[in-house]
Amino acid sequence: MTEETKKKDYTRREFVTGVGGLGLGAVLGGLVGSSFLLPDKVLAIPASQGYLLVDTKKCVGCDSCMLACSLVHHGSTSFSNSRIQIVQNPFVTFPNDIEQNQCRQCPYPACVDACPTGANHVDTAHGNVRTVDPAKCIGCERCVNACPFTPSRALWNSQEKHAQKCDLCAETPYWNEKGGPGGKQACIESCPMKAISFTKEVPVQKDAGYDVNLRKTDGTAELGLPLGDDGKYTKSQVDAARAAAAAMAAASKAAPKH
Amino acid sequence: MGRRSIVAVLLSLAVAAGVLLALKSASAATAALGIRGAPRLLFDSAAWAVWLAPFAALFASGFTRRQEPRIIDRQVLRHDDAAILQHWAHAAGTLILVGSGIALGIRGFLPRLVAGTYADGVAFNIHFLGAVLFVFGSFYYAGNTLMSGRLSEHLPHDVGSSLRVVAAHYSAVLGKGKFPAEGKYFASEHLTYPIAAVGSTLILLTGLIKVAAHGANIPGGLMGAVTLTHDITAVVLGLYLVAHAVAGALVPWSWPLLRSMLTGLVPLDYVREHHAGWYRELTSQTRPEPDDEAAKHAATAS
Repeated sequence: MTEETKKKDYTRREFVTGVGGLGLGAVLGGLVGSSFLLPDKVLAIPASQGYLLVDTKKCVGCDSCMLACSLVHHGSTSFSNSRIQIVQNPFVTFPNDIEQNQCRQCPYPACVDACPTGANHVDTAHGNVRTVDPAKCIGCERCVNACPFTPSRALWNSQEKHAQKCDLCAETPYWNEKGGPGGKQACIESCPMKAISFTKEVPVQKDAGYDVNLRKTDGTAELGLPLGDDGKYTKSQVDAARAAAAAMAAASKAAPKH
Repeated sequence: MGRRSIVAVLLSLAVAAGVLLALKSASAATAALGIRGAPRLLFDSAAWAVWLAPFAALFASGFTRRQEPRIIDRQVLRHDDAAILQHWAHAAGTLILVGSGIALGIRGFLPRLVAGTYADGVAFNIHFLGAVLFVFGSFYYAGNTLMSGRLSEHLPHDVGSSLRVVAAHYSAVLGKGKFPAEGKYFASEHLTYPIAAVGSTLILLTGLIKVAAHGANIPGGLMGAVTLTHDITAVVLGLYLVAHAVAGALVPWSWPLLRSMLTGLVPLDYVREHHAGWYRELTSQTRPEPDDEAAKHAATAS
C-alpha cells in the first residue's frame, strides 16, 4: 500500500467516523435536549367542529343514508362502503330494532391514536374531522380494531384496499356540494325521515348523547305522532290532547243550542 | 469464553430484551388506546433508536480494522470479526423484518396474519426491532466497505463471463465437469450482488421515510409511492433471502462457508476445490481477475 493510498484511506476513515460521531451527538443531544424543552402550546387533539346525531326511533331502516354515503364517496351504491351503518334486528321489537351506527368523531379518537402512519388523522383543513388519507394507509386495520364501538366506525374498503371512516362529507368526489362541518352531509340530505341531524356542539360522550330525540324539534308533534322514545305519546302530549279535548267540550257546552 | 462468543451472547440478549420490550410496549399501547399521552408503538416512542443506528454503525466502522484473508494452519481466514458482525446483524434484522412484515401483510397483495390491536402492536414492535438491527448492519457494512475499498470485490465484472462460470459451476454441482476456478466470491454472487445492494438501499430509504412519518406529516402522494416501493422491494428481497439461504446454508457444499460465518475460518481444501482462483491468489502474490480466470477455465473445461 503506497503512502498516497494510506493517506486517502485515512481521510476516508476520518470522514466516515466524523459523520458517525456527529450524527450520534446530534441524535443523543436532540433526545436529551427535547426532554428538557416543554412546548408552550397545549398538546391536545382539537375537537371536531361537527357531529352526526341520529334518532333511531325515527329511522325506518330504508338505508337511503348508506346508499347516499357510498355514492357520494365512491360513485357506487355499496352497503359495505357506507361509513354509516344501519343495522336492523328482526328478532327485537321497537324501539330497539334499529341501530344507526355513525362515527362519533371522538374527542380522543382511538382510531387516530392507533394509526402507525398518520393516515387516520385529524383533518385541520376540514374542521378537525377525523378521517383517513387512503394514500398513507398501509392496510394494517389497527384503526378498525381500535374503534371502541361495534360495529367499528372505521371500516375496511375491500375494493380499494384501505381503511375509511365518516369525514362528514369533507371529501366527496361524486357530490357537487360543499361538505364537512361547514357544509352538507349526504346522509342527512337523503334521509326521508329526517332521522339524522348535525350539531357543532360536542355531544355528551355516551350513547344517549348521539342517539337523541329529533322529533321534538321537527314536525312530528304537528303530525300528531308520538314523541316518546318508547313509541308512545309523552305525558305532555297526552296532557295537551286532554286539555284540547276539554276545551272543545267546554266550547261545545257553552255554544248556544239551535 | 472467547470475545466473539461474548459478543454473540450479548447480541442475543439484546434481541431477547428487544422482543420483551416489544411485547410489553404493545400491551401498554393497546390498553391505553385513545387516552391522551398514552404509550404508543415503539416506532412512535423510540423512533430515535432507528435514527441513532446508522450513525452508531458508521462510528463503529470508523474504529474497525479489517483483516485481509490469509492462510492459518490449513484453514483460511475468510470472515473477520467485522464481517461476522455485519452479516449477522443484517441477517437477524432481515429475518425479523421479513417475518413481522409477512405477519403484517402487504396491502392488496398479501393478507395479514395478525388481527387486533395487540397482535398488530406486537408485529409492529418486532418490525421495529428488526429495523434497528437492519439499519445498524447495513450502515456498518457500508462504512466498512467504503473505507476498505472492497466494493469492487463484489460487483460483477463481466456479465457474459460470469454467466458462463455460473453454468459451469452448477454443471459441476450436478456431477458434470470440474468446478471453474472461481475467486473469493462465486460468479453467481457477483451477479446477484447489485440486487441485494439496490434492494437494501431502496428498502432502507423507503423505510426511513416511513419512520419519519411517525413524527412528521409526509405528503400522501409521497407516502403512497414510498409504501408501494417498500412493499415491492420487500417481496424481491424476500425472494432473494430464500435463494441466499438455500445456496448459502441449506445445500451441504455450502456448510463450510456457513461455519466460517461463525468461526471466520474455512478449510484450505475447500478453498482449493471450490475457489481455485482465490486459492491461487492466497498461495501466491498474483491477483488474477476472478471471473476472467474462471471463464477461461470454464471455456477449456467445456
